[in-house]
Amino acid sequence: MTIANPSRRTLLQAGGLLLASTALPTFTLAQAAPAGGRLVVAADSEPKNLNPAIVASNGVFFIASKVVEPLAEASFDGKDGLAPRLATSWEGSADGKSVTFKLREGVKWHDGKPFTSADVAYSALAIWKPLQNLGRLVFANLETVETPDATTAVFKFSKPTPLQLIRNALPVVSSVVPKHLYEGTDIATNPANVKLVGTGPFKLTEYKPGEYYRLTRNADYWGKGEPKLDEIIFRVLPDRAGAGAALEAEEIQLAAFSAVPLTDLARISKVPGIKVISKGYEALTYQLVVEINHRRKELADVKVRQAIAHAIDRKFVVDTIFLGYAAASTGPVPKNAPEFYDASVPTYAFDTAKANALLDEAGYKKGANGTRFSLKLRPAPYFNETKQFGDYLRQALAAVGIDAQLVNADAAAHQKAVYTDHDFDLAIGPPVFRGDPAISTTILVQSGIPAGVPFSNQGGYENKELDGIIAKASETIDTAARTELYKQFQKIVATDLPLINVAEWGFITVARDTVQNVSNNPRWAVSNWSDTALKS
Amino acid sequence: MRLVRHLVRTPEGAIGLAILAALVLVALFAPVLSPGDPLRIAGRALLPPFADPAFPLGTDRLGRDVLAGILHGTRTSLAVGLAAALAAIAIGLCVGLTAGFAGGLVDEGLMRVVDAFQIVPSFLLALAFVSVIGASVPVVVLAIALGAWADPARLTRAQVLSIRERDYVASARVIGMHPAEIALREILPNALPPVLALSAIIVAAAILTEAALSFLGLGDPNVVTWGSMIAEGRNILRSSPSLSIFPGIALVVTVVGVYLFSEGLTKALAGRRLEP
Repeated sequence: MTIANPSRRTLLQAGGLLLASTALPTFTLAQAAPAGGRLVVAADSEPKNLNPAIVASNGVFFIASKVVEPLAEASFDGKDGLAPRLATSWEGSADGKSVTFKLREGVKWHDGKPFTSADVAYSALAIWKPLQNLGRLVFANLETVETPDATTAVFKFSKPTPLQLIRNALPVVSSVVPKHLYEGTDIATNPANVKLVGTGPFKLTEYKPGEYYRLTRNADYWGKGEPKLDEIIFRVLPDRAGAGAALEAEEIQLAAFSAVPLTDLARISKVPGIKVISKGYEALTYQLVVEINHRRKELADVKVRQAIAHAIDRKFVVDTIFLGYAAASTGPVPKNAPEFYDASVPTYAFDTAKANALLDEAGYKKGANGTRFSLKLRPAPYFNETKQFGDYLRQALAAVGIDAQLVNADAAAHQKAVYTDHDFDLAIGPPVFRGDPAISTTILVQSGIPAGVPFSNQGGYENKELDGIIAKASETIDTAARTELYKQFQKIVATDLPLINVAEWGFITVARDTVQNVSNNPRWAVSNWSDTALKS
Repeated sequence: MRLVRHLVRTPEGAIGLAILAALVLVALFAPVLSPGDPLRIAGRALLPPFADPAFPLGTDRLGRDVLAGILHGTRTSLAVGLAAALAAIAIGLCVGLTAGFAGGLVDEGLMRVVDAFQIVPSFLLALAFVSVIGASVPVVVLAIALGAWADPARLTRAQVLSIRERDYVASARVIGMHPAEIALREILPNALPPVLALSAIIVAAAILTEAALSFLGLGDPNVVTWGSMIAEGRNILRSSPSLSIFPGIALVVTVVGVYLFSEGLTKALAGRRLEP
């Protein structure tokens, strides 16, 4: 009965700390983060479906990851870049057809029921594999999950599935939900998709649409002495300009995912009591990509695609649009995935003369009005930066005689136009690199994907050699051989340019100095925040 | 010409006319005053205003010339404002004239349609229209006209109802003029003045609506508009307020100019009628 009355205990502790800090102003809290307190965070969207097992996206994880946990979380210094969560160890078989997870003991769901291997088996077979946007790919060959005892789950695959891929995907695809609430119901409309029940350090206790989400401390959490905070409030602040002002007024203590606009960072970093942090997004690299519709005859010519790549000044994009908070891309794998990244791919320096020469060579001479041909350019509306890059790309293409007509649309209309109706010539998209090319990167260039799958190859690009490498890598168990295949993949993409990678960026967190243990893992904003604390 | 003399004699009219004339000149000569695409990235990003003679009003987030944007924005604003008002007045006149002159069931039917359009807030109508069809200049013009034609229609109908009972209309009927001829040649010219006075207000409202649509990202992204300039500046309002302030001033000056002109026009029209 050490945790007889948590609220009183934490209250006393907080009171004690308050006394100590007022009695000794120089007293520092370096050793142990203080417990208690309410953290107020800016949230900019309210996902309709909050179940991270079904919708593996950052907007959902931002809130849901505190409630529903994955088998393992990304880590800066853990083995394989992972820190155990609901699984304590994982091991692949020699033939690559099974992976054995040892699960944590003594974990309870928020409704008091015990967490067992049956929950993992159910989540994997009933949700991750058939329903989840990313799980569909990672667990495509998953046949069964055997549960010899309550803390062991053995994943059996019909074809060899690389452990490297499973490991890299674990933080994103393996959110476990309770079997006893989902079994026998319609999963898509289950009320637990909104009123989440998980094993995480916080319980979702209140949601007021348009106002806030309230997460309260889970006293039965398996982590010793965690969570530190009593409460997390996600305040819905859709206006990006509002987050900075709210931080200054101390209405909120933290704004993640660049909720404070990049242009405001220089100013706000000088405000006393506020820190600007660019760490903590290493495993969530967004890529600025020009998607190309290869059905257009001009764009089907690789010379035209190379000309477009040469027409883009990546330095301008990084320095002016991203204000330096980004890096120029060389290919489809970002630099902060060193396991796979290959720097020795063909690159396209900013060279208008060369771009013009390539276009002339391709047979598209400038007409009397100085233009060669017209294109429809659709920038994705999700970020200020993608829209600004749209404005920039129009100008950059005008400089080489290509007239790009911008078409703006809201998120739903944009996705329908590009990924279902193929009503675009060029589109600007921000796909995410999620730790392994097989999770959400190869799908951008692979052929044979049905229309309507968002963030996939909908430009009609088809390259048998590339498809072959992607298929082979998905079944290669040997880590070194698999990595080598992805290096070839990068070379082909950078040479043939099915799409043009322009820049890659992480987000910025802005927090009050009182918030501690911020950005201490590569997916911090979407991790469980069990050790995050507030200094009083 | 007499109307112009009356107009200039009122202080509102004189100032309004001067402002409008200046704006029209700017709009006509924008390509001469600042040649090239105003959306071109011309210099270093975020130059402050009044610092570099090449960019008197500074540059925006991407290094586009703010002055060029404002000059070319005049074209978009005036063109959209005038075209939308013209379309609204044309539709309004036709509907009002038909309803008032025909009377009976036709009148009832048309007026219920007018009611329907007056009930829906015109801005919401424009918003919905543009988001469904897609943003381009003609669509924006049509969207604004769609929300603005109901008022002139009502006004025209009221005028027609009073005029068609006048003696000269009765005599025209007696001498056997064709009803369409009566409507167009006898009634319309006399019903026109109040509608014209209203038209200036519609222009001002149309310019504001266009700016609001652009502000919300529903303008044509391929042309520069004041609304989109204000929207882009809004993200950095704290650090570079001038990016929003300059197009804001341009918008205010234009709308005030149009309003003053309409005030003057109303007075001039009233004065003309009082004078024998």
